[in-house]
Amino acid sequence: MATDITLLWASGSHACWRVMIALEEKNLQGYNQKQLYFEKGEHKSKEVLEINPRGQLPAFKCGDLPLNESCAACFHLECKYKSQGTKLIPDCEEGRALILQRVFEVNALAEKSSSVLYYNWRVPEGERHDSAVKRNKEALTAELKLWEGYLQASSGFIVGKNFSLADVIVYPAVAYLFQNGLSEQRYPKLAEYYKGLMNRPSIKASWPPTWKNAPKQETLKDI
Amino acid sequence: MAKDMTLWWASGSPPCWRVLIALEEKNLQGYNQKLLSFQKGEHKSKEVTDVNPRGQLPAFKYGDIVINESYGACFFLESKFKSQGTKLIPDCAGSDNNCALIALIMQRMFEGNTLHQKIAEVIMYNWRVPENERHESAFKRLKETLTGELQLWEGYLQKTPGGFLAGENFSMADVIVFPSVAILFHMGLSEDKYPKLSEYYKKLQVRPSIKATWPPTWQETPGQEIFKDI
Repeated sequence: MATDITLLWASGSHACWRVMIALEEKNLQGYNQKQLYFEKGEHKSKEVLEINPRGQLPAFKCGDLPLNESCAACFHLECKYKSQGTKLIPDCEEGRALILQRVFEVNALAEKSSSVLYYNWRVPEGERHDSAVKRNKEALTAELKLWEGYLQASSGFIVGKNFSLADVIVYPAVAYLFQNGLSEQRYPKLAEYYKGLMNRPSIKASWPPTWKNAPKQETLKDI
Repeated sequence: MAKDMTLWWASGSPPCWRVLIALEEKNLQGYNQKLLSFQKGEHKSKEVTDVNPRGQLPAFKYGDIVINESYGACFFLESKFKSQGTKLIPDCAGSDNNCALIALIMQRMFEGNTLHQKIAEVIMYNWRVPENERHESAFKRLKETLTGELQLWEGYLQKTPGGFLAGENFSMADVIVFPSVAILFHMGLSEDKYPKLSEYYKKLQVRPSIKATWPPTWQETPGQEIFKDI
């Protein structure tokens, strides 16, 4: 039941967004939720630590069960609510295999994006190097080319002809890139994917509120 | 069937070892396999990149299906061969107890990724970071981060009296996480500082699937003592 579910989340965090999309897709609107702010350090509050001792968001509980890892939460929701809402993991074997492959490849995409976007946050001033920044950007470029390739024959979804768990996990990472200025000309297939799903009800309903009025950042425009 | 499967792997790589353990647990011995060497650059060979364009190991094929992500391969094997070998994830439909257990297995499995990343950042520091960009302060920070992470896992094992990561039985959480724990002790982690992790390591060392897939290169050469001060 949606009322047994609690989500503490931050706007723009793609891990949080995945869980929100999954909840919408499984028709679990009405879950308890609270928007928190990293800038105010609210992810380290007692309220979060009680659910997620790591002091990270999302902090997610299904009944008494904490499931703070966003992929774990999404898999669990699909499994527990299999018979309602969108079927996020199909029965057909090949489709399932490719979804699993893409879901776990997102780690590489997310990590390489973060290395570029959060470089100054992660690396103290005395340890920063232009050569490292350059290398991180090259790694991200290569990673994006891979995903551009995966979408060449796409019918609007990452895998196959239907929205799946792969899209739940991948879409936030892709949207994040365009929000940070990724070039639509250089990555036309990624841009098409991004725009194509923007108005899907679950995505529209959970679109990061802080993005709605804020101008796009330009950090990735040269990638 | 096992004969339709091929795994390309490297000795001591936790992602490869996860798939090896899963195959054993699901009674899929007899799969085709090829042991490759990172040091010789064989992960970038055409044979691998034909299956895994990322040039990474493991590379795994089952008929026409390709799943190179170790978590993906493990999930796939459990799902496809649900009714044979060890049940690595209990059935969803069933008691509430199953639901709680599945949630815990999933949570620990995915936290295993964080553990693995932090271990890899320490082991691979000199490999990943060019000499002129290395800093003692950075390496120290990575080790401190790993220490914090290990303390979390030590805590998790204090709360599961069954001795496995998710309670009383071996599960997918152990398939995913054990290889990372093993590499820590292989490379000098202190058994005194981490008694619960050490107990877990020794308990699982003798499990048939783990014994059968123990990294061959570890039997000949002791590991470097990278983690002895962690």
